[in-house]
Amino acid sequence: MKKVVVHPERCVGCMQCMVGCATAHSRSGELFSAICEVPIPKPRIHVGVGLYGEGFPNRCRHCDPAPCMLACLPGAIYRNADFDTVMIDPDRCINCASCAMACPFGVIRYHEDIHAPIKKVVAVKCDNCIARQTKGLIPACVEVCKSNALTFETLTDALKRKTNEVARTVSAEAKQVTAPGFNLLNAIKKAQTELKVNCSRRGN
Amino acid sequence: MKYIVIGNGIAGIQAAETIRKMDSEGSITMIGDETCSPYCRPMISLVLEGVLSPEKLAIRGEDFYEKLHIEPVLGNRVTHIDVADRQVIIDETSKGGRKTGFSFDKLLIASGADARSIKADGLNLKNIFYMRGQEHVLKMLEALTTAKSALVLGGGLVGFKAAYGLMKRGLEVTMLIKSGYPLSMQVDEPAGNLILQELVKHGLKVFVGAEVSSFEGDRQVTGAHLTDNSFIKCDMVVIGKGVLPSLSFVPRDQIKVDLGIMVDEHLETSSSEIYAAGDVAEYVDIARKTRWVNAIWPEAVNQGRLAGMNMAGRPVALKGSLSRNVIRIFDVDVMTCGLVNPPADSDHQVISQINPRKSLYRKLVFKNDILAGMVMVNQVDQGGLFAALIQSEIPVRIPKESMLNPGFNYKQLI
Repeated sequence: MKKVVVHPERCVGCMQCMVGCATAHSRSGELFSAICEVPIPKPRIHVGVGLYGEGFPNRCRHCDPAPCMLACLPGAIYRNADFDTVMIDPDRCINCASCAMACPFGVIRYHEDIHAPIKKVVAVKCDNCIARQTKGLIPACVEVCKSNALTFETLTDALKRKTNEVARTVSAEAKQVTAPGFNLLNAIKKAQTELKVNCSRRGN
Repeated sequence: MKYIVIGNGIAGIQAAETIRKMDSEGSITMIGDETCSPYCRPMISLVLEGVLSPEKLAIRGEDFYEKLHIEPVLGNRVTHIDVADRQVIIDETSKGGRKTGFSFDKLLIASGADARSIKADGLNLKNIFYMRGQEHVLKMLEALTTAKSALVLGGGLVGFKAAYGLMKRGLEVTMLIKSGYPLSMQVDEPAGNLILQELVKHGLKVFVGAEVSSFEGDRQVTGAHLTDNSFIKCDMVVIGKGVLPSLSFVPRDQIKVDLGIMVDEHLETSSSEIYAAGDVAEYVDIARKTRWVNAIWPEAVNQGRLAGMNMAGRPVALKGSLSRNVIRIFDVDVMTCGLVNPPADSDHQVISQINPRKSLYRKLVFKNDILAGMVMVNQVDQGGLFAALIQSEIPVRIPKESMLNPGFNYKQLI
């Protein structure tokens, strides 16, 4: 089964996955009309900022066993076995935030959603774009990611590629596996952060 | 293999389901005193509040026992465990019933906890309630039709949720608390005060320090006399003074009992093949580093599951228990975990940040570099990260102040 695999070292922090996700989970499915919808569509993938400004696409890992599922009071969280996806039933959800306390990655948010009863705030998180997958499309975040920080592949393929990449680095003629631009970008971001810290320390 | 599970709360349910998953042959008997289908106890306050209908409390279908081939023995409490004879005994001879014994190979005690009672005159008057189970709340709903004002004793989780629910129902609510702010066991002073302000803003009256000496009324309660000689008028009373493990049937000479039943990392008691889990069990608290009864739902779920695995023959260790809570009232969200108020003379390091304008507060308690406790007021969606850090005891190597920033996220830890 293909899954979304995250490669944080390739994330440039452009947040297009967030826009793509919010659009995919809007009523119209089109960006320009989605921004006018009520409730305003919100992303289920969240680009976090590292200590030095590096981007990190944080999304639900669909853990098994899932801590959120065990912690859910009304039993609103369940697993869709066909897509190996942890889902939240917005009708059963009581917005108690027990899942937020259980999720070690901090990927659950609380807001209104088109799939929930009107005006009801519910827990919302990644659903692996099941609606898109059943139409033969790949998850929206992967589709819009320009830097390959998000890929949709079987875990066997992903692991094999990663093993090969690691193997290549021990060779004498090792080539850099990630394109040098990613490292350069993160080095610049880190230098800028440190410069800022030093300047503020000097009181400038 | 003959399994018996005492208690049909969440710890018992989880254990029975886990056992059945791993052992399709063995016989499972569940002895429980509540006769309704398995339901979610923490949600009863939502029924009181009026946002959830009672039938939505059920978390398993009515065919739960049938589907898992469990023999339910409901409606009675266990009176004794005969450790030598491997029997659980329900003795109803004092009530004119009969004495029944159930033999077991492996036993789980998941009898939960009962509301702590208080001493005061006039406790038998009508409309004085404990709030522990579904039946209590259903009786409270009947009282709501006529009641206009309520008195809530105790500012713990139960008292607090009762007060919130009754306020939402439009009653005039007065709360009696011992410490200066509610939830003093769960939160620290700044968070407690934020909660208090929010409740007072919505009309809650709070009395600090006094206790009830007697209730007044003719059949039905009409008011309460306090130890400071004042009098409070009320049509109903909710007693929320915490809970105590239900273990009166446990032979203390054969099964070691402290406040709860003492268990080892496999949830086994001092008597072999007898296990305990949930509100009745006592194990080492990860953050406090001492034995502690954490009578909370997520802990009961986890302990029930692990006890079930151990009973079915797969040894799995429980690292420790951990206190944690998340509460949403009006516009305030509060999440707490672990050691929130470290003793003043300890070597814990506390960092915190408060933003009164945005009603934001975050406090972290470290022991060396290991996170031991946290309190968050509002913006709680990253709280699970902190809970996981407390649980895993992984030393934090990043500048600790960055964790107070509302933008703190998982990336900053890796």
